[in-house]
Amino acid sequence: MAQLAADDELALLRRVAAQDRKAFEGLYQIYYRRLFAYLFKVTRRGELVEELVNDVMLAVWTGAARFDGRSRVSTWVFGIAYHKALKALARIAATPSAAPAAADEEPREEREPAAAVEEPESLITRRELATTLGKALGSLSPEQRAVVELTYYYELSYGEISTIVGCPVNTVKTRMFHARRRLRQLLPGLGVSSHAG
Amino acid sequence: MEPQPPSARREHLHQRVWQLLPWYANGSLAAPERRTVEEHLAACRACREELAVCRELARAVTGLGEVAPSPHPVQLARLLSRIDAAEERPRPLAPRLLAAPRALRRGAATHLAATPRPVRTLLAAQLAAIALLGAVLAGLGAGSRPARPTASAAPAGPPLYRTLSEPAPARPPAGVAAGAQLRLVFAEAATEGEIRRVLESVRGQIVAGPSPLGTYTVEVPRGRGADPLEVVLAHLRTRREVSFAAAVAGSEDR
Repeated sequence: MAQLAADDELALLRRVAAQDRKAFEGLYQIYYRRLFAYLFKVTRRGELVEELVNDVMLAVWTGAARFDGRSRVSTWVFGIAYHKALKALARIAATPSAAPAAADEEPREEREPAAAVEEPESLITRRELATTLGKALGSLSPEQRAVVELTYYYELSYGEISTIVGCPVNTVKTRMFHARRRLRQLLPGLGVSSHAG
Repeated sequence: MEPQPPSARREHLHQRVWQLLPWYANGSLAAPERRTVEEHLAACRACREELAVCRELARAVTGLGEVAPSPHPVQLARLLSRIDAAEERPRPLAPRLLAAPRALRRGAATHLAATPRPVRTLLAAQLAAIALLGAVLAGLGAGSRPARPTASAAPAGPPLYRTLSEPAPARPPAGVAAGAQLRLVFAEAATEGEIRRVLESVRGQIVAGPSPLGTYTVEVPRGRGADPLEVVLAHLRTRREVSFAAAVAGSEDR
């Protein structure tokens, strides 16, 4: 089943490489929600995501011919998305007026009352940010958070993650190691139930 | 190198397994590593507890779910406009082609790249002829009626460098004296009649679409006697039936 879907994506990407816009729209439809969710998980900034999805898809359009087929299409697309997300966050961090994106305990909505209030999805995104776990994840660096999400949410192997983030496998393991320690500090309830037995 | 004492080796194995636990928990380890982890788990209480933590975290992270709206045609239309703009950047082309209208060149460039050289020369000559024909038609058409090629007019011209195996292009053969092409997304609530009236108000005609996500390519007259494109776009953007309107790059007034 998953293999079938992967083959479909590869076929679409090949057509995109030949400048087929119908195929591109097909790929866009397949990836829009996936990319949106993933980019939000990495950046945790709803107001960036819409534009980032388009940045990623534009890169897919221009780069499709360079896809070498050594990874899955989704791994390649997520790799592009990861790097675009980090760049966007770095740009924001470099802007003097911007508040630090990570490592602050203050709930986001108190700092950014106006951001994307009109958009219906911002309600959901803010709920995700507001939970205890959401806040804990928000305190990780984007690099660490990406590894956590790719492992636990997307259930990828460390090998695939290393391809996506463009780092050696050991770096992936180290990031996860530090993220685990941090999350454990912030979520003292984790694992408590299992200790009884 | 001296052999490590057994305790150091155990510690090393423990560290290694500890690092692998998240991927043991998500089921992605290859068989040899999975076995290594399982053997160690049987003997190490700390790792068993940590595995429980990993699993709990995995459940919690998965439980957050996905926050993602469905793709919106306006977003796609913006993206397609950016692609149009990106493709407007000049590419290396045969010098003679540079005299051809931009839209024509853009379509031709991709095909030319895949064309054997002797055929290319021939094509280039043919293109120049088409461009000339286009210029003439534009001159003729501008005065009396909207200077735009209709789809039915296309077959009369020379066949435009398309092989039969190719899918039909999203836009009509970018022919001669093209009108300006716009990308439009109509409001979901807009009725067919409303859409028709919007199109009539700008003398527009749908040349492609709706795309799977609802964007239309619409051609409007340009040149002498036609409203400037910015005026057409400004008008369209005031209509509540239209949720997105942008020029396809290369269609701007120059």
